[in-house]
Amino acid sequence: MTTSTLTRPAPPSTGTRRSRPSGGRVLLYVTLTVLALAFLAPLLWAVSGSFKPRGDIFSVPVQVLPSHPTLENYRNLLTTQPFWAWFGVSTLVAVVATVVSVFVCAMAGFGFAKYTFRGKRLLFSVMFSSLSVPFAVILVPLFVLLVKTGLGSPWFALIVPWVAPAFGIFMMQQYIVQSVPDDVLEAARIDGCGELRTFLTIVLPLLRPSLGALAVWTFLQSYNSFLWPLVIVSDTDRATIPLGLQTLFLSENRSYDLVLAGAVLATVPTILVFLLLRKQLLEGLAAGAVKG
Amino acid sequence: MATQETLPAPTSTRTGAPRPRSTTATRAPYAFIAPFYVLFVLFMLVPIVASLYLSLTSWAGLGAPEWIGLRNYANLFTDSSFHKALVNTLLYVAVAVVVIVPVSLLLATALNARGLRARDAFRVTYFVPMVVSPIIVALIFSLVFDQNYGLANSLLHALFGLGGVDWLGDPTIAKVAISLVMLWRWAGYLTIFFLAGLQNVPKDLYEAAALDGAGWWRSFTSVTLPALKPVTAFVAVTSFISAAQIFDEPFLLTQGGPSDQTLSVAMFIYRAAFQRQQFGYAAAGGVVLFVVVFLVSQGFNRLLGIGRSS
Repeated sequence: MTTSTLTRPAPPSTGTRRSRPSGGRVLLYVTLTVLALAFLAPLLWAVSGSFKPRGDIFSVPVQVLPSHPTLENYRNLLTTQPFWAWFGVSTLVAVVATVVSVFVCAMAGFGFAKYTFRGKRLLFSVMFSSLSVPFAVILVPLFVLLVKTGLGSPWFALIVPWVAPAFGIFMMQQYIVQSVPDDVLEAARIDGCGELRTFLTIVLPLLRPSLGALAVWTFLQSYNSFLWPLVIVSDTDRATIPLGLQTLFLSENRSYDLVLAGAVLATVPTILVFLLLRKQLLEGLAAGAVKG
Repeated sequence: MATQETLPAPTSTRTGAPRPRSTTATRAPYAFIAPFYVLFVLFMLVPIVASLYLSLTSWAGLGAPEWIGLRNYANLFTDSSFHKALVNTLLYVAVAVVVIVPVSLLLATALNARGLRARDAFRVTYFVPMVVSPIIVALIFSLVFDQNYGLANSLLHALFGLGGVDWLGDPTIAKVAISLVMLWRWAGYLTIFFLAGLQNVPKDLYEAAALDGAGWWRSFTSVTLPALKPVTAFVAVTSFISAAQIFDEPFLLTQGGPSDQTLSVAMFIYRAAFQRQQFGYAAAGGVVLFVVVFLVSQGFNRLLGIGRSS
């Protein structure tokens, strides 16, 4: 806003202005804490369940902590199921998709943010509109297309069609407009730097925080995706984790014990990635919406 | 963190964009955006066109598709499963837009309270469900909602002496259960957007409102809501699009049952194509979904001006 001369200096932002917490404050903290528990409880319950003997998972009343903690579920899962194979496929696919996607999105975002060119408006709105194409619509023809052209192998099909998400390009474009000054680009050009080199050596490093955000987002999308792998992967040994667990889950004896252990193991990478890069992810996601 | 709106933006004048001066520069932007368009054409445009064509055929995946004109669409019209799927999907959309979006806004307002401690801890905690894979969410909730032994009924019993709710077997309650899972999964995610929007609202607007004697509610409706309009638009449209294509939750929790009462359109398409080999029919369902989602979201975008290339 305009520099307002009449407002008093901002109120002390750090301290609570009242010495005693008011009723409203207490209520606020209680509500937020109860909600936090509600968000976490199902997950904690699953973690706890993964350490319980099968009979105890469903015991009534619910045991918060396993009374006879055991690693049996994990041992059974890892010895009877190709869990590490699923894990390998999921992780590798997600990592490759993330690296490529971040690069493609940054390039396109840069193109849209820093150049004027013929057809820019149209091309941008085509890109943006593709956000509102429901995946279910292209599911059938995409499946047919890839299978008929012999590109239906999981490695290709799980990665290549997904490396240029419009959401990622939009996010990058927003960020580049805000954080890459034109002067820097001008200076590079005057020094005789080609466009691609400018992008690689000057723009990319400036984008590091938002690249982190996009990387986490892409990783989660890929690692957690379910419907597409369900359609395209038929071979159990090349299944992704969600598929493998789903097969276990739907099997005759509903192997809850194994599935819970698998669920916990499968979530470790995503939680780790999220916790390590949470600041960047949360702020990167927000930037697009706020400016958009 | 919050991009300060007070900064004298370095790139304030759009006319200051670098002007292309050599042929490399004029070709460069196209080279930068080309990879996206190649992938877009191959894996989105071609499938959409193929979908339109397939929807006019009868095809089981083998041999040549047989042209049948609009018959698939006519059949969809009278297919009670498709009706249920449409109605249910509409309900999921309504839950997303009318319940989850406002709840997220409230949550963000609470998290934005001045001097709140542990704000980031709360924010991160609420986001965690979004990080967990849908199959795992579904698995956990199918245990939570187990009629006899689940956490939900155990809690109801312990707190209110109630119990025995058939969470996933009763047609109405199953929809509630799926909505609850959606709420659990999405609320924290959407909160992030609102919170960012709130932190960008100039503080002096609130002070001005307070000087005018506005209470909490008054300043919420006359300062917060108008300032959040762009964010709300973005959140509402993305929630709409996600809810319109919901698949994982009903597929994994209820398999669409009991008797199609939780079936979604995306599930209907999946079932038609991959369980019944009716590729043409599935494609027609897809086209209907596409037309509805695309028109509604374009309408929203036009109306609210989201995603204009600045």
